[in-house]
Amino acid sequence: MMNSAFLKGVRVVAMTQVWAGGWMGGILADMGAEVIKIESNKKIDILRRTIETEGDLNRGPNFNGYNRGAKSCNLNLKNPQGVELFKKLVKISDVVVENQAPRGMPGFGLDYDALKAVKPDIIMVSVPGFGSTGPDKNYISYAATVQSIGGLEASFGYPGGEPSTPSIFMADPVGGMYGVLAVCSAVYYHHRTGKGQHVELAQSEAIMSLLPEVVMEYEMTGRIRPRMGNRDEIMAPHGCYPCKGKDKWVAIAVANNEEWQALCKVMDNPEWGKDEKFANQFNRWQNQDELNKLIAGWTKDFTHYEVMHKLQKAGVASGASLSTEEMNHDPHVKERGALIELNSRKVGNTLTWRSPWKSALTASNPAAPYFGEHNDYVFRTLLGLSDDEIAKLVNAEVIY
Amino acid sequence: MFYKVLDGVKIIEYGNMVSAPFCAKILADMGAEVIKIEKPCCGDDSRGLEPFMNDSPGVERSGLFLYLNMNKKGITLNPENPAGRKILNQLLKNADVFIENNPPKRMKAFKLNYTRVKQINPRIVMTSITPFGQTGPYKDYMSCELINAHMGGVGYDSVREVDISQEPIKAPAHIFGFQAGLSAATATVGALFQQSVTGEGTYLDVSEQESIIQNMHSVFRYYYNKQVVNRTDVLDRAPAHILPCKDGYIHHANMEESEWWRFVDLMGNPEWAKNELFKDYTSRSQFWDALKPLILDWTKDHTMDEIYRGSQARGSAIGALYTAKDVLVDRQMEERGFFVEADHPETGKLKYPGVPYRFSGIPRENPSAAPLLGQNNEEIYCGRLGYSKRDLVKLSEAGAI
Repeated sequence: MMNSAFLKGVRVVAMTQVWAGGWMGGILADMGAEVIKIESNKKIDILRRTIETEGDLNRGPNFNGYNRGAKSCNLNLKNPQGVELFKKLVKISDVVVENQAPRGMPGFGLDYDALKAVKPDIIMVSVPGFGSTGPDKNYISYAATVQSIGGLEASFGYPGGEPSTPSIFMADPVGGMYGVLAVCSAVYYHHRTGKGQHVELAQSEAIMSLLPEVVMEYEMTGRIRPRMGNRDEIMAPHGCYPCKGKDKWVAIAVANNEEWQALCKVMDNPEWGKDEKFANQFNRWQNQDELNKLIAGWTKDFTHYEVMHKLQKAGVASGASLSTEEMNHDPHVKERGALIELNSRKVGNTLTWRSPWKSALTASNPAAPYFGEHNDYVFRTLLGLSDDEIAKLVNAEVIY
Repeated sequence: MFYKVLDGVKIIEYGNMVSAPFCAKILADMGAEVIKIEKPCCGDDSRGLEPFMNDSPGVERSGLFLYLNMNKKGITLNPENPAGRKILNQLLKNADVFIENNPPKRMKAFKLNYTRVKQINPRIVMTSITPFGQTGPYKDYMSCELINAHMGGVGYDSVREVDISQEPIKAPAHIFGFQAGLSAATATVGALFQQSVTGEGTYLDVSEQESIIQNMHSVFRYYYNKQVVNRTDVLDRAPAHILPCKDGYIHHANMEESEWWRFVDLMGNPEWAKNELFKDYTSRSQFWDALKPLILDWTKDHTMDEIYRGSQARGSAIGALYTAKDVLVDRQMEERGFFVEADHPETGKLKYPGVPYRFSGIPRENPSAAPLLGQNNEEIYCGRLGYSKRDLVKLSEAGAI
């Protein structure tokens, strides 16, 4: 797969779990870092236990999608010997990333100060839901709670309607990407100054930082941003229209009169297109309810892809509203290699995506690791333990 | 800037609207010097977008623009004009990073594609952000936030419990453009690290569609079980819904059985909660229609904060649908100092969202407001490139700056 091996030679210890955590590991591995994910039977990543895999820890589709390229090492941090081994690993690593609850790492005796004592220039990046400081830091931070506090959900919904319950959760990929940004910038800073760092961030603030209009509208006008669905502040038509087939839709956005004329032409210049009500951008915006119905009357006779290609050819912005299934088969997504099939002996065939960029510096990554796949590599090769020592640690449920 | 992490890094931004300007803002927030190039006539298109200060439009009054361009220097320049192009080449020669989000065809026509830029400065990191990337059948397709959202799969799959007659909708404002800018900034800092280690530049082809796909873990499940999930299918989890309350809405997000019983405790352990129908997760999901009105009967008398804080204090995951009014006074964001103030000549002091990260080893500094259109022309053109003030008049008359 095409990746940008910018972080080649950087070793990352990942105390990560669930979405944001695994997600960070996948991107860091794409960037060429060596990512060692610490896992234990004491607390198994919930993405390893999904209903469809019937208890098989190695086949969770989400786990394997996120954790591509990472190495898996079993270590029980509830055991003091486990904590000591963790510190030995930190000593030969550059970065520790974690998305435990804020009390998690201190609970193991592995907060930043403890890591710094082992390796003074270590970089630690923490990505909790609400931050590592402040009165609400211990609040339960599932994506839904975080993105509702971050201002995403109140303005999400149909125009004039109640807020919609979203099925997309952005707190994890957004918090995770900020986490990777923090790793890259701290590694850069370390290269320039020799100094380590603890970077912590709040996923709730991460979401808010992508929605400045929500705050600025209130600051500048005193208004609360309304729910707008697909609508734009001034563009019209600007919506999603029904197409041929069951529950198929196409999005169309018209920014100016030239594009409006082009759209009318593709629609065979209907009489209503000449109506004064739609003669300019302001009129179209004012009368968009009526306009949307008329356009829907045209789109319904074509597939969403047909409308998209026709309009794009004529210079009008349009795109099919792709389902998960269609995304997997779309020719553009395929040609770009945005989704990738990987396979490994124990994990089987899995689907993952690559980071959302391409560059000429490439590296290739294996599939997500099976549970404890790299114990031997970590304990024997990296930490230099003997067979005997390893056997004892396995027996004592330290390597567990 | 907020933290001097990228001190000494020089960036040229030839961006418009959200994705590239946000990418450059993230780097400016981290202490890089960003020189933003705008159209001489009227600047970045986001200057013409809502919200405007006191609802009075003007190129220096857009809240979207002012946020996106904090901590930057602004110059006006037309790269199509030969004199303007000569200046741009001088700027690129001395830059570490070049960020842009123009259509690939336009960049090629302007001879500003990577092949050309590399000839000017071989060690430059160039970051291009486009709706569909630089290759593939849709690379030249026109797009915008709405189209990107739907082509990225998050339109179709965005809402639970919809009626099939309702169209799929996108998430609010320009959130996906911002997300693409964040992805691009992350890759750019990675490439900067590489540049500082090896002295080599690189080209980053960032696709907004691919950035959006990162929200779609449903692709993994689909691949695994080949089961087509219709957007009308309701997840079998209840209560996991947005529900109205006295002064707004809450998001009931319980995942564990214990969380439900803590919520029941918050409601004062009503008799109905003991009903056999609501005994466990599966059963509550099955009888959600009967359960919902009972919960609503309690939530209608309680505020968002009573429910959010009351349940969280008990260890039950519930969120509150905060609007701007609520986030600005949220005690957690206040304690962490998330919102920041910046003073701008046209709008005065305003509160802006800050940055979500905190560096332990670098002092935090105060951000500066976005530049006025062409604010730094004299500083850059005369102070750095050696043009005289008289030259600036001529360059301006010639349409170069």
